[in-house]
Amino acid sequence: MPFNDYETDATELLETYDFLMKYIVIGEAGTGKSCLLHHFTHNSFKDHSQHTIGVEFSSRTIRLGEKRIKLQLWDTAGQERFRSVTRSYYRGAAGAILVYDITKLSLIASSFPSSRESFQKLSRWLADARALASSHLVVVLVGNKSDREEEREVEWAEASRWAAENDVHFLEASSLTGDNVEAPFMLAARSILLSIESGALDPEKAGSGVSYGDRALRRVNSSSRLSFGSLSRGQRRPVKLKVKNWVPGSQCC
Amino acid sequence: MSLSQTPSSSSVNERKTSWTFQARNPVSLRLYKVLGTTFDDEATRESLATLSELYAKSVTAKGKETQRIDTEEDGDDETSAKVDGPFFVEGVPGESAARARKNLRRDMEMKLTEGSQHFLKVLSEVDEKLVALQTHVAAMRTSCDEAEKQLQLTDEASKSLLERAGNLREERQEVEVKKSIVSLFLSRFTLNEEETEAMVSRDVPVGKRFFDAMDKTERIREDCRVLMAGEEGPTKAGLDIMTSTSSHLEQSYEKIFRWCSHEFLQIGRDSQLEVSVTMREAVRRLRKRPELLTEALTSLSQTRQNTLQTSFLNALTRGGPSGLPRPIELHAHDPMRYIGDMLAWVHQAIAAEREFLEGLFGLKSDRRMVGSVRAFGEKPSEEEEWIRELMDLAVGRLCVPMKIRVQQTIKSQESSITSYRIVNLLQFYLHTMQNTIGKDAILSKALEELTEMAYKSFYDSIEAQCRGLLRAGLELDDSSVTPPIPILDHAQVLREIMSVYQSSILEDASTSDQIAGFRKIADVMVNPAVEMCIISAEEKKKVRHKWDMEVFVLNCLTYLLSVLEPFDFTSEAQKSIQGILDTRVEQLTDDHYHNIMVDAGLDEVATTCEKHDNSEPLSHIPSTEPSQLQIALGNFSQWLSGPEVVHSTRLSSLSLQRLHNKIHHTALTRMAKAYEMICEQVRRKENRYEAASTLLGSERPFGQVALLWQIFGLREDGL
Repeated sequence: MPFNDYETDATELLETYDFLMKYIVIGEAGTGKSCLLHHFTHNSFKDHSQHTIGVEFSSRTIRLGEKRIKLQLWDTAGQERFRSVTRSYYRGAAGAILVYDITKLSLIASSFPSSRESFQKLSRWLADARALASSHLVVVLVGNKSDREEEREVEWAEASRWAAENDVHFLEASSLTGDNVEAPFMLAARSILLSIESGALDPEKAGSGVSYGDRALRRVNSSSRLSFGSLSRGQRRPVKLKVKNWVPGSQCC
Repeated sequence: MSLSQTPSSSSVNERKTSWTFQARNPVSLRLYKVLGTTFDDEATRESLATLSELYAKSVTAKGKETQRIDTEEDGDDETSAKVDGPFFVEGVPGESAARARKNLRRDMEMKLTEGSQHFLKVLSEVDEKLVALQTHVAAMRTSCDEAEKQLQLTDEASKSLLERAGNLREERQEVEVKKSIVSLFLSRFTLNEEETEAMVSRDVPVGKRFFDAMDKTERIREDCRVLMAGEEGPTKAGLDIMTSTSSHLEQSYEKIFRWCSHEFLQIGRDSQLEVSVTMREAVRRLRKRPELLTEALTSLSQTRQNTLQTSFLNALTRGGPSGLPRPIELHAHDPMRYIGDMLAWVHQAIAAEREFLEGLFGLKSDRRMVGSVRAFGEKPSEEEEWIRELMDLAVGRLCVPMKIRVQQTIKSQESSITSYRIVNLLQFYLHTMQNTIGKDAILSKALEELTEMAYKSFYDSIEAQCRGLLRAGLELDDSSVTPPIPILDHAQVLREIMSVYQSSILEDASTSDQIAGFRKIADVMVNPAVEMCIISAEEKKKVRHKWDMEVFVLNCLTYLLSVLEPFDFTSEAQKSIQGILDTRVEQLTDDHYHNIMVDAGLDEVATTCEKHDNSEPLSHIPSTEPSQLQIALGNFSQWLSGPEVVHSTRLSSLSLQRLHNKIHHTALTRMAKAYEMICEQVRRKENRYEAASTLLGSERPFGQVALLWQIFGLREDGL
């Protein structure tokens, strides 16, 4: 596994967790959303992947510092015809993984590109997600198929600029090699935890896309205040993401 | 020294005198020998020392006693005086020695007597003591005898005791062994207090201790069963153990049951579900008591149903806290979003529920994605059945509020396109749910019903539309032959419905499935449109004779066909329209041929020629008399130089240029053939035309068919 900087334990059957977060995975058809998710949940590349029909569900528990977070992942179909169906699943999502294909500029850009609207289609996805999901939706833009460097059409810097302008996190990943596959999910989780810590997000409230798990509740009961000591420590010892994909000026950390 | 030597020499002297008497002859020899003897040996010295001491003593310490002895001895005053003498003063050195020499024997004897007397005295004392001792000894002996007797008795008595003690010790050992066996047995076959408490008491929570105790009980029962299966058959102990453990076990199952019911009540109320290890274990164990499990799960199911229903209603009417996300009902005006949001909510609830139940039954998730096809095998596992049933019930409760809302939405739709969109949305979810929770689930059934209802509503709506279309008729004063507005509107609706259908087609659906899926819509929507065109055109034709019905119908049909053509699944409808179209084209072609023949003036001639039965020569028939023929040919020649040859005014109203060309060319081809036929007939001798060639050659195309083909710009083979 090329990306094992996190302690992960996907195989554990029975998982107690501190938080439950709902994510949606969105983006144009054929950008590899399902494959990315498949790699994340199964740790292997999904061969001969068909177009997703409607939405599909999977889940995985991750560990971030001392926190265990259960992710409910809703993989949506990218095809236009399912748009009306998939939009209903944005409701109450805490995180969105917006995927594009770095080898296909046409999939995100409009047919007559101007500098302002170069990523017009991405903007549309983003606007949809922001309008329909939780108000604190954390979005991570993922440039998929980073293994196909020679076919690259979307420059990293360009996407990075777009991400910074639109206040979303950004990184590139490959669902074929598994490179950086976990990072977007971790990044979003981390960002959400931070906004819980800062009080901006309240997991007690329905619709925030986040809720306490049994584990956290037990802790709450034993000590009146939920402590994020582990997270603060995490800040001193930052999680080792692939820093080359870091967006300068993005709001995380 | 001199003192000591002196007495000894004197004694030797005495002895020498005595010996002189005993042995006269050898006296000298003897004397010599004696004289030669040295008294320097140890014994002599010692005796001399003793003597010396004795006298010294008598002088210093024993003077008084000496005196007393002296007085006892009568008549020997001198000796006593002499003895006394040295006691006080030894006036002359060696005086005592001299006295000693004199009195030695007496002194000795006196001493001896004294000693003897002393002895006697002392011994008598000893004797007395001895007598006393003897009495004591005798007494002691008696006592000892007695003691011995006692001892013997005791010994005898203790022997049996010892024996008993030995026996007892042995017994004790045996008992010890038995005891250890029994305690081993007990520890193996009975529960200790703690374990019993863990199993039975309400104070001990369901947890590791409790489960351990249960495990032990199970093990005991298992061992016990093995024991009782032996040759001796069931023993009482075995039966007792079985009875007591079974009662404990039952109580523990009761306890699990109570605990589960309580926990279920708790977690059932949460919207987010999580299964603890203990709970999973409890459920696993309770599966051995299906009736208890059923009861517990029934209560769980009840709570879950209520909880889910409440949260669904909340999502519908109240939305999230502070209204975000907005309540689903807020979008009731947008039917697609409204229904979509509702069903998506249900779908997501199913995913969470499924995960919870899988956790509860310890089912390892197959990591199949919800929504993707689940294989419903022939024989699902017991857990799978439980899960399915619980899921079904939990989600089933949501059907009522969902159904009412969906039904209302369906009923309130006026647009058939929206209706159809709803149909597709419902069908999509029906498909998804059937794959997720099974075909027989309440939700699937409800969706089936709703889909059916939506279909009905949709069909009603398009049927009404079609009836309206038929009723509408055509504008009588409109002389145009293009498709009328009602048809255009209808086609637009059809087009939209088709594109909705197109988008709903699954990628792996076969073409025949695609066609079959659309057949009914095509039947409802396409055929009436065709019918409407034809019927109402005929109606109009009756009133407005000049109006070109044929062209109108063809235009309508080609238009409808053009609407259908982009969609492969309409091939059947296309075919049927094409069929009608072909017939119509043929009719129009006939009509057009007839028209141009009339226009060209050949019609009568051609008809007569065709009908000619050789009964009389053609030239004798009035319509084909040479003069008439001449006129007809003249007309034809004129017509040939007109514009109608390349372009038919009438057919130019056909919206499809291709069709115009086709019909016109076919008519011209037939015209050419008719001309050829006329020429042949005229040239036949039987028809008795004089100067037939001249007759034909007087006007274009001069009886030359090939020339006619050229004029028409066609080739004889019809290409």
